[in-house]
Amino acid sequence: MSSLTPKNRRAAIVNLRRDYQLWLMILPALIVIILFNYVPMYGIQLAFRDYDFAKGLVGGEWRGLHYFSQFIHSFQFADLMKNTFFISLATIVLGFPAPILLALLLNQVRWVRTKKLLQTIVYMPHFISIVVMVGLLNVLLSPNTGIVGHLVAAMGYPDFNLLASTHAFIPVYVLSDIWQHGGWNSIIYLAALSTVDPSLYDAAKMDGANKWQTIRNVDIPVLVPTIIILFILSMGSVLGTGFEKVFLMQNSLNLPVSEVISTYVYKIGIVSNQFSYSAAIGLFNTLINFVFLYVMNGIAKRNSEISLW
Amino acid sequence: MTAMPANGRSRGELLFNAAVVALSLAVFLIVAYPLYFVVIASVSDQTLVATGQVTLFPRGFSTFGYEEIFKDPRIWTGYGNTIIYTVLGTFVNLLFTLPAAYALSRPEFRARRMLMFLFVFTMFFSGGLIPTYILMKSLHLTNTMWVFILPFSVNVFNLIIARTFFEASLPKELFESASMDGCTHFKFFTLVAMPLSKAVVSVIALYYLVAHWNDFFTGLVYIRSNELQPLQIVLRDILLSNQVFSQGAGSGGNAGGYAQQFADQVKYGVIIVSTLPILLVYPFIQKYFEKGVMIGSVKG
Amino acid sequence: MRKVLSAILTISLGVGILAGCSGSGNGGNPTADSAVGSGSKTDTGTGGGNGAKVKLKGIMLKHPLTQALSKMDWLTQAEERAGVQIEWQEVTSDWGQKKGALLAGGDIPDLIVGPNAITDADFAQFPGMFEDLTELVATYAPNVQKMFDEKPETKIIATQTDGKIYGLPKYQRFWPATATRQFINQKWLDNLGLQMPTTWDELFNVLMAFKEKDANGDGKTDDEIPMDFSPVGTTGFGFFQPTVLLGSLGITLTDGSGQGYFAENGQVKNFLVDDRYKKMVEFLNKCWAAGLINPEVFTQDYSKFQSVARGSGDTGKVGFTWGWEVTDRFGNTLAPQYTSMSPLKAAADSSVPVSWDYDYNTLNYGVNMVTLSAKSKHKDAAMKFVNELYDPKVSMQVLFGSLGTNIKDNGGDGYAVLPPADASMDPGTWKWTSTWADNGPMYIADSLNLTLGSDMQSVGKQTEPLDQAFAAIDKEKNVLPSMFIKYSKDDNNAMSLINTNMMNLAMAKFSQWVTKGGVDKEWDAYVKNIQKIGLDQNLSIMQKYYDDYKGKN
Repeated sequence: MSSLTPKNRRAAIVNLRRDYQLWLMILPALIVIILFNYVPMYGIQLAFRDYDFAKGLVGGEWRGLHYFSQFIHSFQFADLMKNTFFISLATIVLGFPAPILLALLLNQVRWVRTKKLLQTIVYMPHFISIVVMVGLLNVLLSPNTGIVGHLVAAMGYPDFNLLASTHAFIPVYVLSDIWQHGGWNSIIYLAALSTVDPSLYDAAKMDGANKWQTIRNVDIPVLVPTIIILFILSMGSVLGTGFEKVFLMQNSLNLPVSEVISTYVYKIGIVSNQFSYSAAIGLFNTLINFVFLYVMNGIAKRNSEISLW
Repeated sequence: MTAMPANGRSRGELLFNAAVVALSLAVFLIVAYPLYFVVIASVSDQTLVATGQVTLFPRGFSTFGYEEIFKDPRIWTGYGNTIIYTVLGTFVNLLFTLPAAYALSRPEFRARRMLMFLFVFTMFFSGGLIPTYILMKSLHLTNTMWVFILPFSVNVFNLIIARTFFEASLPKELFESASMDGCTHFKFFTLVAMPLSKAVVSVIALYYLVAHWNDFFTGLVYIRSNELQPLQIVLRDILLSNQVFSQGAGSGGNAGGYAQQFADQVKYGVIIVSTLPILLVYPFIQKYFEKGVMIGSVKG
Repeated sequence: MRKVLSAILTISLGVGILAGCSGSGNGGNPTADSAVGSGSKTDTGTGGGNGAKVKLKGIMLKHPLTQALSKMDWLTQAEERAGVQIEWQEVTSDWGQKKGALLAGGDIPDLIVGPNAITDADFAQFPGMFEDLTELVATYAPNVQKMFDEKPETKIIATQTDGKIYGLPKYQRFWPATATRQFINQKWLDNLGLQMPTTWDELFNVLMAFKEKDANGDGKTDDEIPMDFSPVGTTGFGFFQPTVLLGSLGITLTDGSGQGYFAENGQVKNFLVDDRYKKMVEFLNKCWAAGLINPEVFTQDYSKFQSVARGSGDTGKVGFTWGWEVTDRFGNTLAPQYTSMSPLKAAADSSVPVSWDYDYNTLNYGVNMVTLSAKSKHKDAAMKFVNELYDPKVSMQVLFGSLGTNIKDNGGDGYAVLPPADASMDPGTWKWTSTWADNGPMYIADSLNLTLGSDMQSVGKQTEPLDQAFAAIDKEKNVLPSMFIKYSKDDNNAMSLINTNMMNLAMAKFSQWVTKGGVDKEWDAYVKNIQKIGLDQNLSIMQKYYDDYKGKN
């Protein structure tokens, strides 16, 4: 506070007086976040301590970076990092543009009823639980009995088992993800497209723009802020493969590419209570994600004026 | 698109439209077939389903799965609870999220960047389940309905989405001119920003709604009594029997895989039972994304 | 808006406090009973008005198929006799996640019931949370004491390394010596005029014939699956898997030996680095290359594994496979086609005595079936209730269901398990639907005169071809008593980390070698890697505990 010159202090007070309504508007959210997210954060210490219930949650002996180095030096480390990174990367590279393209496509459908029907259909798979989703994959992709399996065989690969191949794991994972969530994720872009001023379309037509040009010059610019923000956020999941789907899709044949950080943590957690170790791995993971997000946000801020903070 | 002036362009247009139709059809088929499969599988003999003999029509028709689901009396309390949590929860979510998103979208709000960072930080770092549980317990929120509604009433992702929309669709000049007329932020928010932002409000509402609807984790961890359990927990209980058996036979060594076929049919039925109500909501939300719904008023 | 928040918080706080007060007040307050509802009124009516009942809270980990606990007559009666009324929370899934929060929050009910619901590791992790039952058993639980006296091993598996007893075990007596039986389609053998195979080579030839000819007689030669086994997981082997073929080479698997550990001549070993395992993998690879193994064997899930074997109508689909029981594995229609087989010899001239997977301990004993909170206010009453569960007559109903509906009382001439009331249901499902079944604490005394249901009887019959192999097993030296050994927390943690890493490597290699071959070339490097992960360290820990165990008995 001592660094505040009288002038600055006056400015701060002016700001506060001017912004008090904004402060009031943000206050409930702030309280909720502080109470329910920041208060429990002392638990992060667990990654640096032994877990000793008798001494309280964070009363165990301080171990510093012991559990981090245990992870980094573990036999699996390199494979886990590689697998996790590639699955996430593929999810971002293929999964990120899909809903944008879908929204642009839906936006071009002229018949209102067809459009609504299509929109509703593509949004439905989002509600399928992961257990059933993986069950569906097993049934439909089976080389002997599944409809997709038959399709693959008809294309000239009779013995290719999509569920077994280490090459097919990531494509199957990512494409089924797009199938399931592409429609749902396109909602936000559709909402953004709905804010386009219709007069802009008329103006584009007047200027003699064709459909492609209209999409490029009218639709996409409206989507850009959302795209940038969501892209920055997606950078925060470079090591963020979900647990359940990978776990359920795992089998011993695809294991070399399907063992990721979250499934490994689950496995060591389930066999014994390795609280500290799994907390350390989790934190390590989070840190890397956060660094990526931070860097991406900085890049976006410098180049586009649009950023998270 | 009816009267096209130049020939060259109309051919391009025609081609373009054909591509749109073809792509839409492809998307439709790819998405719809597995969904249809879930429906027919839910009323078919599971031995036939697993061996790939059910492809276009149900075979070995039976409604056993549904009977099994609906004979569980908990399902009705589950539905009731979920509807209460969803409606009330979404209301609280919007009440907390939208004003905050608005505040964060105002360029003149000095603290916005710092606050935004504070929010985003929580998307990544958390104290973990156990400290959170202890907190809930000391606030006496465990085993009450409020644990579904209060604790995570602000989802930072949704907050960011809303803020981005507000930034893009509420030009700075709009508020400046309004404040000249003596309009405060409160008034501007309720009278101008909200009506202009129906699309994003409905998206955020949908996101929250669906999150509440699908939430089983809260019930799993914080709720003890069956009377408070949401639908998803009830359904998950019914659903997981399949997995329990496959593990039981593999490692637990109980009585092998008895009742496999009973449990399996339930799997697909559960999806339908849990999804149908929320699907009915979508058309109501959808109409707010129709083009130009509120653009007219921007000018006014 | 802040006011709204704080108002809501206050309200919910208030509600919580009120609930807390009434909860703790109930125990000593007789008038509170009347508020419980009609159920308790009728109970006290029939029970002879024994005054106020003690209120307890319990968690029961039941199977998802299992009906509501309130519908189990035997349970109501047991609570009645013990003078308690238990408010049960019935958990059917995700126990692991629930437990984490529950224990860390110190928020446990009086009783927790379920198979290993609270593990030894939990006891070590949360000292003082669970009551040491040693004294209470002696005072209030003669039935448990009787189990400890008659079956001393039950006391061993209940006793922690520090000598305390936090969880009580079960003994269910009737389960067979193994979970895995070996089945072949006898009708196919007859159709093709083949002999029952007795060696790996003969099996290979029989499977070749199954593949190349129309064994099931439906006019098609390409729809037979000669060999199938249950999905091989990523964390270890399980039952109904080809690891039982290691028995042909003299290895006695114990409790499935999911992570490869077994005992041989008093030595703890791991087959994952054993040359005999390599030999088995080579054989499986030979079968795979010849197209004898279901191509989906590594990718199908358990429900498909089961469904495929059910064939269509009376046309069988699978020739040779493993399973629990023949009707369970193939369905009622196809079951008569299959017959249970003796273990195979590795080669005709092999002089190694054949063995099999010995699971008697894991199938009949269970640890930590019920625990008592150290904070419970009514330990005596809770223990009386627990004692009821271990009463021979009650235990039998815990396992098979209530007398009258599920078990028949033959007067003085013992008891008999009744067939399912619903004719379309199989006995196993009926059992799981009706009662706690294997998930409950129980002591089925060897003296109890109980006739089993048809399912258990046929399991017994189908185990007969294996009996000779079991009789030949030297249980002192060749059965790893994993069930009876308790590791210290640190040893346990160290071992499980190594095992997790080891299984990741081993399971991936196993399926790769079976499907693509290459075991010969990669074997040495693989063994080196397994050593690097730390197998030897685990073996020496296990050897130490094993020797200790043998020294004590």
